[in-house]
Amino acid sequence: MSTYYASLLAESGILLLGALSVYIILATGQLSLGNGAFMGIGAYLSSYLTVALNVPLTLALVISAIAAGIIGAIVAFPALRLKGIYLAMATVGFGEMVRSFFLNFDTMGGSGGYRGMQHISVGYVWLWAGGILIAVMLLERSRVWLEMQAVHDDETAAGLIGLNTVVTKISAFAAGAAVAAISGGLFAHHNVYIEPANFGFERSVDFVLAVILGGSTVAPGSLVGSLLLVFLPEFLRPIADWRLAAFGSLLVLVLLVRRQGILDRSLIRMLTFRRAAA
Amino acid sequence: MSRIKSNLPRVLGTVAAVTLSAMIGGQAVAQEIAIGAVVPSSGPFAEWGRSNTVTLKMLEQQTNDAGGINGAKLKITILDDAAKPAQAASSLRKLAGDEKVLAVAGPLTSSAAEVTFPVANEMKVVSTSQASSKPGVAKLNRPWAFRNTIDEGVLAKTTVPFYKKAFNIKTVAVIFDAKDATASTVGKVIMPAVLKANDIIIANENDLLSFNTGDLDVSAQVTKLKALNPDGVVVSADYSQAITVLREMKRQGLIKPVVGATQLISSAILKAAPEIPVIAPATFYATMTGPAPEKFTATLTPLLRKESGLPKDIEPSMYDANIYEIVSMYIDAIKKTGVTGKPADLEADRTKIRDHLAKLEGFAGLGGPIGFNDDGDAIKAFYVLQGQNGAWDTKVKGCSSAPGHPAC
Repeated sequence: MSTYYASLLAESGILLLGALSVYIILATGQLSLGNGAFMGIGAYLSSYLTVALNVPLTLALVISAIAAGIIGAIVAFPALRLKGIYLAMATVGFGEMVRSFFLNFDTMGGSGGYRGMQHISVGYVWLWAGGILIAVMLLERSRVWLEMQAVHDDETAAGLIGLNTVVTKISAFAAGAAVAAISGGLFAHHNVYIEPANFGFERSVDFVLAVILGGSTVAPGSLVGSLLLVFLPEFLRPIADWRLAAFGSLLVLVLLVRRQGILDRSLIRMLTFRRAAA
Repeated sequence: MSRIKSNLPRVLGTVAAVTLSAMIGGQAVAQEIAIGAVVPSSGPFAEWGRSNTVTLKMLEQQTNDAGGINGAKLKITILDDAAKPAQAASSLRKLAGDEKVLAVAGPLTSSAAEVTFPVANEMKVVSTSQASSKPGVAKLNRPWAFRNTIDEGVLAKTTVPFYKKAFNIKTVAVIFDAKDATASTVGKVIMPAVLKANDIIIANENDLLSFNTGDLDVSAQVTKLKALNPDGVVVSADYSQAITVLREMKRQGLIKPVVGATQLISSAILKAAPEIPVIAPATFYATMTGPAPEKFTATLTPLLRKESGLPKDIEPSMYDANIYEIVSMYIDAIKKTGVTGKPADLEADRTKIRDHLAKLEGFAGLGGPIGFNDDGDAIKAFYVLQGQNGAWDTKVKGCSSAPGHPAC
């Protein structure tokens, strides 16, 4: 495989983790448009740990994920009072707050960025991406996921049958933030340079887009969305100036034909020759 | 007849040998010299990327019309990075790994260069940025990274003394684009240091004003600037963002001389507030005089207006001149160092180009001779310009090296 395709694959893996971070939160009916900020926290913290303190990368990623998870849980508390578009707006505000913080945080380079990380291979990126994808797919088969789905479908009803909806929502936010932080850590060590602009609103939108395009009801949908978002613009390069227009048109077309995203449970069943549960 | 028959195999063999050698010879003549370029044809710096694309197509045509490079045709493969660092790095990987280019012109921004230059080192291919001027970016990525630009810190040391003397500046206020890495470094670090070295008081030293790329309303910041009543204003931002500040300064009646970095150089900024004097350094500008820059501008301007899809009054920018010079330097290296362009010689050819650039002195650039210092940054002449009433005027000529260097 050429290093070009290897680098695109690495980008897909990093985007997959970002998309999964949104997917986990979305499973409880909450939409976060601030996961770029959690990615930024992971990127900066893991970079600081590996560059300044010589902590091994895997350990640095775990520490970053835990730290981002705690911040995610804290952010989730005020977010509990908000729903729908208001929650989305609040997470946008959080994202801008974090980006501005790193912009003025001169210890980590401020707007000048931070460097010194060791480059990681595509294999290492996919070890994390594949591992977390499988973990989320296993989670989808668990009782916890059913509780998350219950909160997603009707929070009031879920509360009435005795589910702790607050814990479920906060846990989802924390888990999503942790996954986004790992995505950030891998991004930082793949690109060996980071700056606050890498983790702005646009990044958060990319995560959401990968989920919506690939399929927001099954975890592998994020995989499909991530691969498409990274590879499609590259395959459209022969049409030069029109490639972004063509890419946008294709996205609109896909969403018109399949509002639920490319991959859903029925398509998976069809592809795997399985019958629907009676 | 029988003699002919007996000699037939020999005749056929000779014909085959002649045909084969002609084919091999023909292949050598028809071979292409592949150069790559990474430009932001979409995204926030699309204007520069699109004009860079037209510039490179013009150079490709000029080179091939003049007989190519040592008889080989020049092919420039241009990839759009949308000013995204990761995409710029992927583009370089594609050009160096898949397209097997000999060298790459670009990327444009410092952020993209930060991510792309390490990849250039990994893949052992020369990458020369046409616009990155954030201090130290090439220095960190030697030996394959170069920049045909001058460090903003070097430029400010000549720009500020002229600004002080020309407008009798004793105090200034600073405003910068906090989202732009170069603008932020210039506004927060470089300019304050150079201003202090020139005994200019910064009225808002402890409260530098900032805005973010894309902000359309900077009235609050300009109101603060006005309240400080400085003799001049430091605006550190890309020209498209600086225009917003200048328009607001004009609207609020803050007609004070502005000083900034190379990012301010454009025709558009002079139209935004013609009565406000703007002082900035440049290595090239569209109204520059002299045979080489005048010919370049005269040839490129109609092409830009026809093919770039940009406003009809578009003129060549400093970055068009820089990328034109970069590929011209590559062509010069290929011609002078025996680069074959054959796949088997790819690694050796790339090394020859790198070594040629590292030792380059006195290459005939559009604004004067060009060489490179040990940090990979260009040693070339620059000009401190004053823009007012719609035109740029050269006030001081400087050089990015000590006097006496061949490039100066």
